[in-house]
Amino acid sequence: MNRFAEYIIRLRWLIITAVFLLTVYFGYQFRNLHINADIISSLPDDDPVARLYKDIGAEFGGNDMGMIVLETDKVFSVEVFEHIRQITDSIRYMQGVSTVTSLTNIIDIKSSEWGIEIGKLVDEYDFPQTQAELDSLKEYVLSKEMYKGAIVSEDGTAAAIMFTLLPQADNQAVAEEIKSKIERLQLPGKLYFGGLPMMMIDINDLIISDIVWLIPFVFCVIAVILLISFRSFRGILLPLLTAGLSVIWTIGLMVVTGYELTIISNIIPVVLLAVGSAYTIHALNSINHIYLHDRKQALIRAMVYVTIPVILAALTTSIGFISFVFGAYLTMIKDFGIFAAVGTLIALLLSIFFIPALISAFSMYRKQPQTEENKQTILTHKILLPLTELLFKHPNYTFAGWVVILLLFIIGIFQLKTSVNIADYFKKDNPTRIAEDVMQQKFGGSLPVFVVFTGDMQSPEVLHMMMKTQHFMKQDNNVKVAQSVADLIEQMNDAMGEGKKIPDDKAKIEQLWFLLDGQEIMSQLVNDDLSKGIIQSKFASVDSKDIEAFTERMNRFISENQNDNYQIELTGMPSIYVKLNSSLINSQYKSLFIAIVLVILIVGAILRSASKGIFAAVPIIATIVVLFGFMGLTGIPLDIATVLVASIALGIGIDYSIHVITGFNNHLLEKMDAEKSIESVILLSGKAIVINVLSVSAGFLVLLFSQIVPLQNFGLLVAISMFGSGFGALTLLPVILILANRKRRIIANNHK
Amino acid sequence: MNAKLRTFFLIILITIGCAVSVIAQDSDTILKKMDDVMFSPKDMTGKNKIILIDRNGKEEIREAVIYQKGTDKRMMRFTAPASQAGIAVLSLPNDVMYMYLPAFGRERRIASSAKNQNFAGTDFSYDDMESVMFSEKYKSRLIKTEDTVFVLELTPKGRSDYSKVVAAVNKTHFYPEVMEYYDKAGNKIKEAKYTFEKVDKYWNASEIEMTDLKKNHKTKMIMSEVKYDTGLSDDEFTVRKLVQ
Repeated sequence: MNRFAEYIIRLRWLIITAVFLLTVYFGYQFRNLHINADIISSLPDDDPVARLYKDIGAEFGGNDMGMIVLETDKVFSVEVFEHIRQITDSIRYMQGVSTVTSLTNIIDIKSSEWGIEIGKLVDEYDFPQTQAELDSLKEYVLSKEMYKGAIVSEDGTAAAIMFTLLPQADNQAVAEEIKSKIERLQLPGKLYFGGLPMMMIDINDLIISDIVWLIPFVFCVIAVILLISFRSFRGILLPLLTAGLSVIWTIGLMVVTGYELTIISNIIPVVLLAVGSAYTIHALNSINHIYLHDRKQALIRAMVYVTIPVILAALTTSIGFISFVFGAYLTMIKDFGIFAAVGTLIALLLSIFFIPALISAFSMYRKQPQTEENKQTILTHKILLPLTELLFKHPNYTFAGWVVILLLFIIGIFQLKTSVNIADYFKKDNPTRIAEDVMQQKFGGSLPVFVVFTGDMQSPEVLHMMMKTQHFMKQDNNVKVAQSVADLIEQMNDAMGEGKKIPDDKAKIEQLWFLLDGQEIMSQLVNDDLSKGIIQSKFASVDSKDIEAFTERMNRFISENQNDNYQIELTGMPSIYVKLNSSLINSQYKSLFIAIVLVILIVGAILRSASKGIFAAVPIIATIVVLFGFMGLTGIPLDIATVLVASIALGIGIDYSIHVITGFNNHLLEKMDAEKSIESVILLSGKAIVINVLSVSAGFLVLLFSQIVPLQNFGLLVAISMFGSGFGALTLLPVILILANRKRRIIANNHK
Repeated sequence: MNAKLRTFFLIILITIGCAVSVIAQDSDTILKKMDDVMFSPKDMTGKNKIILIDRNGKEEIREAVIYQKGTDKRMMRFTAPASQAGIAVLSLPNDVMYMYLPAFGRERRIASSAKNQNFAGTDFSYDDMESVMFSEKYKSRLIKTEDTVFVLELTPKGRSDYSKVVAAVNKTHFYPEVMEYYDKAGNKIKEAKYTFEKVDKYWNASEIEMTDLKKNHKTKMIMSEVKYDTGLSDDEFTVRKLVQ
């Protein structure tokens, strides 16, 4: 260990140069940093539901569906029709747009005694002019299922303009162009923009604003805390430097390896600033406490003393992050896990190589040795000392108190909810969220549902089944619209005078098809070689229970109706949400289990005692109970960001327990008295733990100012977990040690 | 201003005016001549092979027999593929169109209020299929003259989905070689390439290749066994004939 420390000091200039060059290199990579706001792209390819959804999007332009809603008093007026036409036309000719559908250009199949008219609902060059014409059009439109609630709201106060994007288009750029183009029209009435492409623009903006505002904010908060704790320039500079460099390296590494910034990896800088500064704080603390005349020797000794605990702390934290790799459904969560872990290790390496090198190279030694080691502070004497007295006086009560608290929170756990609805990511006053609410009220939501039929699309059997499926879907209160090529065939058959049904003769279907061939809508409903067709629908509710009930019923219906001639599959956002939902809970279990086991193993191995490994885990497990209980009681749902908290809290919070137990061990060796050892551990390590809890929590609490709701919750919950695990390490763990020790002593006494 | 100068200016003005009108008339004449080439036969019969080519290069082939009289009467009867054999479309003046579907054993009048919709899966819209003289539908302007072609810019007189059509017209024979269609935003959306052959005394569009540039989809219409002026009677273009 000594040799290792000496090497670092000898190679200090090499280390400093290398760090400088790498920082320049990684910083230079920032120019290629991209933001990926597309949550769909984060769905795993190995999941059949998710893959089908992506495939459908590519083949039928389905999931890249956007919606513009124009809300006015009265849609059926000459003026509003003119506005709808303007919107429709301005999108229609844009690059990257595949289809546009609105009142002014939607297909209509009319039948009369004299024949069929396949054309448009209205003549776009000759809108109905009189109120009587408009009224009769309104009556006609609202009588057709294809239109009602799909492109006009049932109450006739809102019209929707739907568009799909070409699969190869840059969705975000096209959506942005659409939005600005429509806004420039300056139409009267309220405009809402919805659907995933539109949400992506917003998410993108939110990610940028978070990065721009939150990172400097965290920087300042941590600087203030460091100032209070160390009261020296060096004490502020070095921890922030390590954290800052680890952010630059990590993000640079993400760019080099071809990863993009997502709604989740967006918080890596905040996480690293909060976590990464801790290792340097430890190292500095240790350097501060060792005063020898030979400064170099002092530095070496400090390094020897601190290296192992710091490695241990970084290792456990990384385990917390890396545990997501094994449990998460969304690739962006896995990516976050990998890079947060990498960043943590970078911060570790910088703390043990770069910081000592820097101190020795620039003689940044402490100017005055701390004269008073155990300075009387409010913290130690007003809080920690009374605390130890309480613990020794009433260990049983303290323990019982914890049990009661935990029982209370366990009740909360049963109320824990999950949320995967993307609209919930936005604050209540965010325009996108408001738009989503409007879509839900007036147009049956914006969650696309697809039932995919593989088989001969011109066979009567398949088309019959499609109609049957549509009728079944509409029995659900949350399904207002469902549309497929079967509808068109029925309407055509009716127009041929044979009733509104699917003809039983395939030849008839083929000939009706001849008339429909080439209609714009067809490419959204069937593929080119007619081997695949979809029912397009929307689901109105975002409630997990409704979604689950619907997908369960649909899946049962599908499995009952599968057949050799065709294959039916369900996909769409509800199915994805169900997957996401169950995966949230699964991945929570999995990553938490992995993290706990690994941490117990590592701590047990280092302390060479299985029981101490388990003791160390007790406060953190209690914290996790408190965390989930708190979420249940306050209604904060488990979502793509809050699912990360438990494992992160475990990775960081375990450090406090490790400090207490290693301190206890060291003191026990010196004093041979368990109770005395516990007292001095609480007084000494207690101070470090409290400072660490405060600085990490403050860093994460900055996320309360995030624009993205799950990240706000994430910040709050990590802070609560830090308090919980710090408090647990200072109360629950000592009490367990006291009680275990007393028991051992009693047993020992009995054996005497 | 003295009288001489006034006369001089007048002469110049008249000269310029004449020059302008000569150019204008020129483009109209070219278009008129193109119409003559395309619409002068009294009647025409022939076989039409329609090849649809999707963006992956996959082909679908349809065949039909075509009878046409004058510019506004046309009967198209499909012979292949088997599923479409017997389907017939009768186009009469004033946008009157009937369709016969053999599987239903009955005809229906078809109205297509949407002329911008594509005809039966091809890249030709109903508008493109219409046999209306170009000089009736479009105003023309000569943009440039190249080695072998005049390039005309045609702007629709009435309603149309196109903002303009740019036509390259053969200098010697006045048939169109290429037509480019532009949408209202000014993007080129379709392109038609013509191959003309002389059959009897007329120029016949033996192949038209229409490409939808947005969808990357192509339609080739190949004419064969073309006969002109065989004396088709109006009786060939009735609903009764359609159903047969």
